[in-house]
Amino acid sequence: MSRRGYLFKRVLQAIFSLWIIATILFFLFRMGLPDPTAALVTEGLNAEQRAAIRAQFGLEEPLWRQYVLFLTNAVQGEFGTSFSYRAPVSEIVWERLANTMVLMLAAIVLAYAIGVPLGAWLSWRRGSRADTAGIFFGLMFRSAPMFWTGMIAILFFGVGLSILPTSGMRTLPYDADGWWDKILTLDFMWHAALPVLIVALYYLGSPLLIMRNTMLEVYGEDFIEMARAKGLPERNILYKHAARNALLPVVTQLAVTIGLAAGGQVVVEVVFSWPGLGREILNAVRTSDFPLAQASFLIMAAFVITLNLLVDILYTTLDPRVSFR
Amino acid sequence: MTFHPFLRAAAGPLKIMMQDRLAVIGLCVLGVIIAMALFAPLLSTHDPRHINEIEDGSVLQRGAEGWELQDSFGPLALNDADHHGGEAIIVGRGGMGWARGGAGDWVALDLPTDVDLHALALSPEGRALVVGDESVILLREGATWMQVPAPEDVRLRGVVWLDAASALMVGTGEEIWRLDTATGAITEIDSPVGRGFPLHSVALDVDGTALIVGERGLAVRYDPEDGSATLERLGSSRDLNHIHIAEGGAALVVGERGTLLRRESFESGWSADPAPDTRAMRAGWIGDDGQGIAVGRNGLIMEWDGAEWQLVPTESERHLRALLVMGDEMLALGSDRFVSRLLPPSREHWFGTDHLGRDLFSQNVHGSQIALLVGFLGATLVVLIGTNVGLIAGYYRGRTETVLMRTVDVMYGIPFEPFALILVLLFQPSLTIVILAVSLLTWRTVARLIRSQVLSLRERPFVKAARVAGASDLRIMYLHIFPNVLPLVFLELAIIVGVSIIAEATLSFLGLGPPQAISWGGILHDARLSGAWRTAWWWNLPPGILIMTTVLSVFFISRSLEVVANPRLRARQ
Repeated sequence: MSRRGYLFKRVLQAIFSLWIIATILFFLFRMGLPDPTAALVTEGLNAEQRAAIRAQFGLEEPLWRQYVLFLTNAVQGEFGTSFSYRAPVSEIVWERLANTMVLMLAAIVLAYAIGVPLGAWLSWRRGSRADTAGIFFGLMFRSAPMFWTGMIAILFFGVGLSILPTSGMRTLPYDADGWWDKILTLDFMWHAALPVLIVALYYLGSPLLIMRNTMLEVYGEDFIEMARAKGLPERNILYKHAARNALLPVVTQLAVTIGLAAGGQVVVEVVFSWPGLGREILNAVRTSDFPLAQASFLIMAAFVITLNLLVDILYTTLDPRVSFR
Repeated sequence: MTFHPFLRAAAGPLKIMMQDRLAVIGLCVLGVIIAMALFAPLLSTHDPRHINEIEDGSVLQRGAEGWELQDSFGPLALNDADHHGGEAIIVGRGGMGWARGGAGDWVALDLPTDVDLHALALSPEGRALVVGDESVILLREGATWMQVPAPEDVRLRGVVWLDAASALMVGTGEEIWRLDTATGAITEIDSPVGRGFPLHSVALDVDGTALIVGERGLAVRYDPEDGSATLERLGSSRDLNHIHIAEGGAALVVGERGTLLRRESFESGWSADPAPDTRAMRAGWIGDDGQGIAVGRNGLIMEWDGAEWQLVPTESERHLRALLVMGDEMLALGSDRFVSRLLPPSREHWFGTDHLGRDLFSQNVHGSQIALLVGFLGATLVVLIGTNVGLIAGYYRGRTETVLMRTVDVMYGIPFEPFALILVLLFQPSLTIVILAVSLLTWRTVARLIRSQVLSLRERPFVKAARVAGASDLRIMYLHIFPNVLPLVFLELAIIVGVSIIAEATLSFLGLGPPQAISWGGILHDARLSGAWRTAWWWNLPPGILIMTTVLSVFFISRSLEVVANPRLRARQ
């Protein structure tokens, strides 16, 4: 299949996936929350106002009409007004998504920047005490629940030493002209340090262990024997010959990780009060703010699918051996 | 003998696992955790849901920094105290008494009784009178304690010396007894009410009469001159627990629901003061210089600042019952059974207690049950679905494969954690929903892995041979191909057990775990919600370490399974 054909097919698949997810989401919410406006009674809305909202979301219509309305609105990026924020849902969601992505990407980059070279080094020192320790700690941080490591980190750095802020993205109050202005400050990085560290520690295990194991496999290949036979220094063989060829599975894992990054780590956002999308979904469903919950999840899924698609396309360019199936 | 080769086949991977030190450690640790879950009721030292209470002879002393807890007087509560001329005596439950002369240490008294003692009075001549349950009346003449026989079995609550040779005692059946210490005769005095209202406390007023207070605002004045008892109105209908009258005539009566009745002097009337707290108060003390203290349940201490009562912050949960004021030294005494909240680890509670006084060691032990249940049940479900989908897709190929693998692709577009959250929140947390939320998305990885393995296996000669021999599709799939992916299945099972345990802990941490169940994530949820996790380290550390250890041991096992599944790793380790 040609490259263009492949691309076309993948895009179609992505759209198909998104449609299925939107459908699942729609029916899930209709089953779980038959009357989403019930939650508004506590907010002091009278019957008429509730009826107006029900009409806005087409809740009086038959189910299939509601479904069509939901899809049409979603395609137009029209998600209604949040019950709790009283603001257009899409504005809130995009900002939260950006916050989540900053946190996740920073953590992933940090984890892979440390994990890959460390994994290669461990494979070189295989069987040594350093190797065992590396595997142990890599797996340990992978096994520890992030909300717990987060709490411990807050206790240690925030409460005990009080050198790092433990919640939020900025020192309050602040005003910023736009999103970039908000994050390109020292104060922001200061606030991001702990959550990024916690997520990075969690992710560190995969590149570390994958790199180490692939390196071990690569050491058995003929071209390594060849390099050894030529009398190349061990360090040279390690980083120049073996590491390059062992990178592929790590890149695959990186692609999967980035692809799912938009899903975020809800608990980290909760523990560090990071205003991300995952925390927003949790709050939205808890307060029965169903327009916000629905839209957040749909946009999150759309982003995950888009990232997956981009990563796939990039991957075919990186590794010509991947066939355009 | 036919299973012999099977055994050998099974022993092979086991031998490989045994060579891996980390895997052996993992197996051992997991074994311990499983044993913990199985024998949780035996291992736990307490009922994990029980709110633990303890009784303690507690003393709080007023210092520069506020009221500070002193060394305990033992496992029994202190009920009353009195002092005269440098000597002080404390009495408590179980016939317990302590005495101190001058500036010395407290010395335990050897009292000839073991019933609960409730009140104590020292006379100016240095005689002491102690009363308690079962009509116990103890009189100290010189240095010896002797018991005064009582006419009937009543529970005495208060005592006061009327003069050098007679004392007044009150009881819970509205008894008012006058004791003549010279003869040991007890005169029963008729109460003006006579309906059996409990009387709680008695004090000598400046004019030589005695004022008795009791339940429902009852106050009786007894005049020793003519032996009459008359009703008096203090202006409250709440239960009154204690009365104290200072030498100059200032007086304080305390009672239930923050009742504070105060009198400036003998001539002035009683007035009810507004209290900053409406808990029950058990003892009060007032001085003629305008000082005043009232103490009560849950470490409640109030001080009179001349204009109003101020709540004094104490970190103690103890119930305070009595006050001992000797010049500058002020002691608040207690404490009957109180909830042992947020106790650090001790011999009684190995991992301490939480904000409700529940034993954390037992909670942590019980938490292993839900973690392993969700972990293994969820993982089995995941592997069951994933393996079958992978097998079918890989074996049949064509349209079946397309449909199944597209489904898997769609699932990769769903972020796991938020999806699990929405599922649990929409359908109310229950064990089933939590296991479903954990497993509904995770099988996507297993399906992909197994399928790619099956794709290469189905082209192998042994599969072709089976097909030629006329084996059915099912037979080829499950008897010929499946055993070859088994190592991979076990590897995935181990990894997903770890993932499921973390997922369950995460849901529980967010307060969405199985309701009523005790889980490690749930303990951390409580800790975070209570706000005490910032100080109570014994509360956050164990559950996290347990989750980590369990998952880590599973990962160690999975690593050696990986070596079993992938022989290429074997040669070079």
